[in-house]
Amino acid sequence: MTGKFWKWGGIAVLMGVVWLTFTTPMQPGLVSSQVDKSADLWIISLTSAGHPLDFTAQPTDFQLVLKSGNMDTGIATYCAEVTAISSHGITARFTPPDTLPAASMDVYLMTPGAGSLMLRHAFSVKDAVLGLPAENCVLGPENPNLLPTTIPFQPTILETIRNLMFHVPMWFAMFFIMGLGFVASLQFMLSGDIRFDQRADAAARTGLTFGVLGLLTGAVWARFTWGAWWVSDPQLNGALVTVLVYSGYRILRASTGDDDRLPRLAAAYNVFAFILLVVLLMILPKYSESLHPGKDGSPGFNTYDLDNTLRLMFYPAVIGWGLLCYWIYTLRLRMIRVGRSVIDR
Amino acid sequence: MLIDAFHIARLEARLALRKAHQLAAIALFAVCAVYLVFQADGFKQADAWVAQLWVVYLFSIFSAAARLFDREQGPTRRYLQWAVQPRALIGGKLLYSWAMTAAMTLLVFIAFYLFLGIPEGSEISFGALIGAGFWGAFSMSTTVTTVTAIASQTSAGPAISAVLGLPLLIPQLILCTRMTRGMMDGMPWVASEHFVFLGSLGLGTAVLAVLLFPYIWRS
Repeated sequence: MTGKFWKWGGIAVLMGVVWLTFTTPMQPGLVSSQVDKSADLWIISLTSAGHPLDFTAQPTDFQLVLKSGNMDTGIATYCAEVTAISSHGITARFTPPDTLPAASMDVYLMTPGAGSLMLRHAFSVKDAVLGLPAENCVLGPENPNLLPTTIPFQPTILETIRNLMFHVPMWFAMFFIMGLGFVASLQFMLSGDIRFDQRADAAARTGLTFGVLGLLTGAVWARFTWGAWWVSDPQLNGALVTVLVYSGYRILRASTGDDDRLPRLAAAYNVFAFILLVVLLMILPKYSESLHPGKDGSPGFNTYDLDNTLRLMFYPAVIGWGLLCYWIYTLRLRMIRVGRSVIDR
Repeated sequence: MLIDAFHIARLEARLALRKAHQLAAIALFAVCAVYLVFQADGFKQADAWVAQLWVVYLFSIFSAAARLFDREQGPTRRYLQWAVQPRALIGGKLLYSWAMTAAMTLLVFIAFYLFLGIPEGSEISFGALIGAGFWGAFSMSTTVTTVTAIASQTSAGPAISAVLGLPLLIPQLILCTRMTRGMMDGMPWVASEHFVFLGSLGLGTAVLAVLLFPYIWRS
């Protein structure tokens, strides 16, 4: 019974994570702006993503503020009048001012229930007369964020942030199981015990599956955030080469057949492959320019925006995928051993 | 052991020279590949030039180094197992492959220079390019030799060494092209991080090969 506990525990954790991942709403955020300019009136429309804006509230409950300038030029704020709201957008009227401190404007939308949403560089004003306005918009009191638990809003990533519970733990699981295989190969080389070779074989197979899943989930993510299924990037190249190298391990085993030398060859290759994996996935990308989060130039999620809600899902996801991966590995191992004993009989 | 390795390398070189037609076949392949690129035309831009150079180069190195363990079958294998330490043997093979791929570098790069020249506006000198070629040859041939050492123990032989080896050469190919591209923009190649990575990949692979070879060599 205790043997089964962690298996079903892992599955339960994973199911819980998947359920939370797809049911927790995202904190709303502004994604795009559009403006219809005439001489003395702008019609502004803003589009939001994530949790619907509270459209049962009156438009007057929302406050839209346009901000321009910086510390050097001086900061000016202007009020706009919100005229209509929908679940994922608002429309507002704005009287353009005579003078602006800078050509670009940020917008802040104070919502009655979801805190304040911001969009940087929402508008730019060509041939603006630079200068500070006579008076600034007076802000009302800050509205609290009354939404239930949400996952954070990230520009560009948006809803695909949920992939964090799949893509990253899958790679972690692959690392873990490949590491297990590496240790088994070393043990085989030291002891010559065939059971260690079987472990390494099972680990490499399971790890390869998770590596391919990691590539696929990564490709989906790349399509949404970078616009292409695949880009040339140190981290991605390393991941692809790793998967190819472990495919090579499978081919090496398959093509050597039942030769007595196979376990030793496979062990040597596996040691080589794992060291390469560490170099390609952990060392090289750290020192090269990589778009991939967590590498040079692109901080990882945990640096500043793995908030507590995400943590609550991410850590169990790591545990859940890890346990599932280990379970698959034990099943593989049993299959290999059964196959072996059938051959030996 | 180092002396043994040196002797093995010298033996390899002698045997290779005795079967000069094999070397000639490799050289012919390399020059033909360069000429094909020249005929295919349109590769005068720096990016395409660099890509073509290194892809041709990679296949030349591969065809040269992938036959390295062809002789170690049957009686020769048994004799070598008895006569030399496995580490000396792999060391010798590595030394020989470095020397041979260095010669290959000269051949490919000179052929490339003669047929395609150097892209206009680039600040690369031919000497530096050859230097980068030697460095890439060191790194790539080490990987190919290591993989060939493993592949030659299987029944599938050379076919599998291509399957196992080409993926392993992707990182090196990327590093080489990036390094050369940087050199064209006037970056000194020895100072680039790609140079360091290439060297460490080559060195690390060589160390691993020497450490692991005894396990696959016993029978």
